[in-house]
Amino acid sequence: MHHVLLDRWSQGTSPLHRRDARAKILALLVFLVVLATTPATAVAVLATYAALLAAAILIARLPLGGVVTRAMVVLPFSLTFALIAWLAGEPLRALALVEKSYLSTVAVLLLAGATPLSLLLGGLERLGSPRLLVLVAQFLYRYLFVLSEQAQHMRLAASCRDSGAGHRRGSRFRAATGALAVLFARSYERAEGIHRAMLARGFSGRFSLLHAPRFGARDGAFLLLVSAFLILVRLG
Amino acid sequence: MHIPDNFLSPPVWATLDVIAIPAVGLMVRQAGRQLDDTRIPLLGVMGAFVFAAQMINFPVGIGTSGHLVGGALLAYTLGPAPAVLVMTVIVAIQAFVFQDGGVLALGANVFNMAVVGVLAGYWPYHVWGASWRRSAMFAGAFLSVMVSGSLALGELLMSGVAMPRAMVLVSLALFAASAAIEGAITICVIQAIAKLDAGFVPQPRASNRRTLAILGGAAIALGAVGFLVASAAPDGIQRLGIQLGLTARTVLHAPLADYTMGSLVESAWVRRATAGLTGLLLIYAVCATTARWLVRRRSA
Repeated sequence: MHHVLLDRWSQGTSPLHRRDARAKILALLVFLVVLATTPATAVAVLATYAALLAAAILIARLPLGGVVTRAMVVLPFSLTFALIAWLAGEPLRALALVEKSYLSTVAVLLLAGATPLSLLLGGLERLGSPRLLVLVAQFLYRYLFVLSEQAQHMRLAASCRDSGAGHRRGSRFRAATGALAVLFARSYERAEGIHRAMLARGFSGRFSLLHAPRFGARDGAFLLLVSAFLILVRLG
Repeated sequence: MHIPDNFLSPPVWATLDVIAIPAVGLMVRQAGRQLDDTRIPLLGVMGAFVFAAQMINFPVGIGTSGHLVGGALLAYTLGPAPAVLVMTVIVAIQAFVFQDGGVLALGANVFNMAVVGVLAGYWPYHVWGASWRRSAMFAGAFLSVMVSGSLALGELLMSGVAMPRAMVLVSLALFAASAAIEGAITICVIQAIAKLDAGFVPQPRASNRRTLAILGGAAIALGAVGFLVASAAPDGIQRLGIQLGLTARTVLHAPLADYTMGSLVESAWVRRATAGLTGLLLIYAVCATTARWLVRRRSA
């Protein structure tokens, strides 16, 4: 499945994986802002960004092909708008739209592929996101797999019971409604169970990590280097 | 409806980021006050439920199927502030994990779908939900999708993304169709849930009446503005943009000549960027102060 792959990528031990999540998040933001303000005509600058991303993917030891393919999720959207700009007689703008949206997607994918989500969320919390928001995100991601699998089982079971032919749309709609309601009720019960189990294991209202992440000198140097490089390239 | 990065112009995404942060902060604080700790796992699991619900397809026409978006359903079952919180987390996870929607555009997407979408969806239920439950739920779910869609469209047009008039109208029609589907799915699912356990769907609460009514009304008005902006001719939008000082190219987009000039301090790009950032900081300060004032008034 889609996100299982990302989970495996993020377990690596490359230099990029070892950087503190905060440094990576801030570096991503610098990259995205610099990219967003780069004019469409600066082809060489955009090419340098692409080269930098490719180098980072190799350093992180992520599969280049896999990253390139997965980042294509943005293409349907950007190609539509690029086509319109092209037809409107702005080919350069069309090209830049595709390039820039694709590069941004690769950059975000790089962050998600080089940082386990729990650490990423921890970094966001240390950068000032509300604790409640981050806590809910941790739970959501943890149970995303579980509930998706349950929904898939229910869909499979429904299609086993359904002969397929001769059913009216109304009855299928009702069946889907029932499935969602059951999924809702089961999720609700599961949440109550989870909370009791967590209390039993001494949950204090905050996730604690075995090794608290430290923002070391290397993380600072990484952030500084990446930002300086990007801004120098941008200013020419 | 998830806007990727580099479609919105810097002034548009930056402004929406600065607006979304205090808005979400306010909602999180309110949710935190309403909930005890037992409900935190519930919010996360309900977010996962909304993700999983997208796997269950509803047949809606010949060969097509729709799925639940979920903002209004969450607002009816969890309450508006927790629903905003959960939808914010969903939109953020979609951006970071599934690359669905941009990171710089996260503020815009959160604003459209989580803040305005959920509040607009809860508003009818809050106002007339006690007497005409079904119609209020349908209207709410319809509004939540329609309002976030037209806001996204309005933002794209404001950023100077070229869209022929026909495409704008077709997108609006598509939003209306999927909004109607969302309304139908939401009513049916809520009824089925209430049949399992009536406690899942609480009656609209009597407290916070005025604030919520105002917030929801404002959300819908914003959606209407987005709708109007979207259905107006693109020329009109650019004129509007110039009047508001929002047009992309004038503030942050540098022409080629500027950045080859070399000298860092005198570069027009740097000057413009500084001006833009100062403006943003001002907006942020205003938002933060307003939010703090609102919170203090609430708790007083």
